Amino acid sequence: MSAARVRAWLLRAWVTLVFGFLLLPVVVVVLASLSRTSYLTVPPQGLTLRWFAAVLQDAEYLRAIAFSVVLAVIATLGSLVAGVGASYALLRHRVPGASVVSALLNAPLIFPGVVIGVALLQFYALLHVNGTFLGLALAHMVITVPYVVRAVTASLQGVDAEIENAARVLGASGPVAFFTITLPLARPGIVAGALFSFIVSFDNVPVSIFLLGASHMTLPVKIFTAIEYGVDPSIAAISTMLIIVTGLGLAAAERWIGFHRFV
Amino acid sequence: MTRGRAWLLLTPALALLVVAFLVPVGMMVPTSFRPYVPLVGITGGFTATHYVKLVTDLYYLEIIARTLVLGLTVTLLTLVIGYPVAFFLARTTSRWRPWLTILVVFPLLLNLVVRTFGWIALLAQNGLVNQALQALGLVEAPVKLLFNFAGLLIGLTHIFLPFMVLVLIGAIQAIPRDVEDAARVLGASWLATFVRVTLPLSAPGILSGGILVFVLTISALVTPRLLGGPTYRVMSTLIFDEFLQRLNWPAGSAQALLLTALVLLLILLSGRLAGRAGVQA
Repeated sequence: MSAARVRAWLLRAWVTLVFGFLLLPVVVVVLASLSRTSYLTVPPQGLTLRWFAAVLQDAEYLRAIAFSVVLAVIATLGSLVAGVGASYALLRHRVPGASVVSALLNAPLIFPGVVIGVALLQFYALLHVNGTFLGLALAHMVITVPYVVRAVTASLQGVDAEIENAARVLGASGPVAFFTITLPLARPGIVAGALFSFIVSFDNVPVSIFLLGASHMTLPVKIFTAIEYGVDPSIAAISTMLIIVTGLGLAAAERWIGFHRFV
Repeated sequence: MTRGRAWLLLTPALALLVVAFLVPVGMMVPTSFRPYVPLVGITGGFTATHYVKLVTDLYYLEIIARTLVLGLTVTLLTLVIGYPVAFFLARTTSRWRPWLTILVVFPLLLNLVVRTFGWIALLAQNGLVNQALQALGLVEAPVKLLFNFAGLLIGLTHIFLPFMVLVLIGAIQAIPRDVEDAARVLGASWLATFVRVTLPLSAPGILSGGILVFVLTISALVTPRLLGGPTYRVMSTLIFDEFLQRLNWPAGSAQALLLTALVLLLILLSGRLAGRAGVQA
């Protein structure tokens, strides 16, 4: 074998190993969810689906799932309104201080989540709005808006501004041209941004955990708290459900808009 | 006219970020200088004691040092493990490439708590890693892999590896293949080409990937909390406890602002470095 072949083979072996490392905890969680034992064990001892049934019959888990979905949808809608408009304005108009505005829009991406969480905890407490849904939703918009801005900007950059200008010349008003020409052309970026936004909101713990009221619980915070009390196979079961939903969603997104172009 | 429309389009985003981000973070500054009396709470007055403690008290210094060492180690590990993977994904002509990239993205999009939970099952006393180590005869008794540095290192490296790989893929793809071919044609060995051409040309990616992973590692809360438990603390879990358990908000604000300062300093520094590299290139 030539040296180049050996190198290629070694590289492939390394890549396979690393993919194994990346997927190892995922596989372990799925296996652990199938065990008959009431304690967490891998490989599973005996096979059962009763932990899935237990989770699906647990009113607390169901409420947490519903709450997380509603929160993520509202946060995403808010981020789309704020993010699409901002991306368009920054790309197509000369805005004074554009670099500052752009830095501010992207800041929550690199800002420690825990700092945003405690800052809002304090701020809301001062205004006596701590534990409210609105406060939580606004916090989630702050952490999701950069994802919308990034994906939509990437998509808009591929849309020739002349197409919109042509529509304007042909008599369409600014808003009409924007909604009927530019927005549909930027759809892949908007879809990708909305997906990112939904996932970021749905997964968040560091911000949510400081802002949740006594009567509400998001799913990841519920799992987080459950793990701190002690691990058992029902946590593995709800985790497995999330793995399946995420996997299917990602595969669908790849088919639909070629999701890998946006990461 | 168009300027007015631009600001109209920007208003929702700017209002959101000013009201629910800039102002709340800014308000931590005055809080961090307030005295805190146990059992009484935050009192009036001015004190720098929370900051003084952070830089003089050994308890805090150890946590800060641990956080930074952890950040550096995780960054180096993700770079060493991830570079060959990124190289492969950037250069492969396989029709499976988009799906392989998606496989790198998948753990990234999967709930963080779920991934960390997987590591708890793997690293526990009777977990899969200890079972394997014992079966292979590498260790006699189970090794402690949770609630210590090793556990956090393994978990955080796993969590942030995809970020490093994705940034490096972009950087390696940007290198023109002609440059490497030229080096080879002129007689450079494969290794010399890699070390003297490919690696330096991917330096911007290494820099931004490194900064990103470092910043994410020192900011991480969920993984250090679950794999480190309530006692093995890093800066973010210290802030968490200060706010939710000890209720010492002034001290917590000082710690949060220090963490923020570290993150911003690194971002600024990387901007400078990238700028300088850009001038040279």
